[in-house]
Amino acid sequence: MANHPETELGPYVRGELAPSERERVARHLEACPDCRQDAERVRALLTELGDSVPVAPAVNWGRYRAELRLKLDARRARRRAWWSRPLPLALSASLAGVLLFFAVWSGWRSPGVEPMTPEEAIIGRRLDLLRQYSVVERLDLLEEFDVIRSLDQLAGTQEG
Amino acid sequence: MAYRDEAAFDLLVARYQERAYRLAWSILRNAEDARDLSQEAFIRLYQSASSFAGRAKFSTWFYRILVNLCLDHRRKGRGWRLWLRDEPDPDSGESLLDRQPAPFADPVDALGRERTLTKVWAAVDRLAPQQRAAVILQVQEELTTPEIAAVLKCSEATVRVHLHRALRTLKKTMETS
Ligand SMILES: [Zn+2]
Repeated sequence: MANHPETELGPYVRGELAPSERERVARHLEACPDCRQDAERVRALLTELGDSVPVAPAVNWGRYRAELRLKLDARRARRRAWWSRPLPLALSASLAGVLLFFAVWSGWRSPGVEPMTPEEAIIGRRLDLLRQYSVVERLDLLEEFDVIRSLDQLAGTQEG
Repeated sequence: MAYRDEAAFDLLVARYQERAYRLAWSILRNAEDARDLSQEAFIRLYQSASSFAGRAKFSTWFYRILVNLCLDHRRKGRGWRLWLRDEPDPDSGESLLDRQPAPFADPVDALGRERTLTKVWAAVDRLAPQQRAAVILQVQEELTTPEIAAVLKCSEATVRVHLHRALRTLKKTMETS
């Protein structure tokens, strides 16, 4: 039988296909024992994988956030040093040297990280997300209702 | 930085830290790198917050930053060495699945199943990067095909092909072990 819907079997068993596509695949499965068997194997495999996702090693979240805070402060300090401080030429040069040293040093010891892509930096500039606490709160309305309660608690403790 | 900015950022980190770390670890299989790169994703997020267009789901946008960082890291080769260091020997008693409860009462069956799944997850780690990311986003993060396409910046048809090829490889691993 021609045109076995191989790439659609995964979306089919996950219930992701549009009605017309779903109907077409279902009709094919009725007539094609190979694809029917294949669909069952895909279903079994996805279930097995979903039930056996390896667990990541535990993290101390307080320490994680403290580290993140330090990294962010260091990055901001570096930016301020580069852009906004008018410095005498000699001092600028030595500061650049020190920063270069730290850049090389930190680049050597931490995982390599690509510079931000222009897309990341440019795409919108429409929504000044992190400048607006209310926008972050409204993310609740856009997705993931399950975390609202814990967020309310978190927001409460931070506001208080 | 104003107080409100700090609070907003802290709130985002608190909401996404576990998902970010878990996803990074799934791609990198190294806890230290997963911490480092998920933190880097938050820093990118902070620096490029104004580029969030508001049309995509926020988590999709954030996952895109994070997954790109992780795939770049592994592409450079450092990740592969770390992966080798962390990867359990499929034939030894050590298993990525050690902390998973065995669902079968029969200990022989349970052991066989665990060995098989350890091999299958090791095979996930050997998939081509885009295939691996697609599988992890689907079975672990439970993203839909359109969401995976948005994270990986490709078409839904491409995601379907990635997943089809990945599942074909994994089925073979499952059936030969
Ligand atoms: Zn067929």
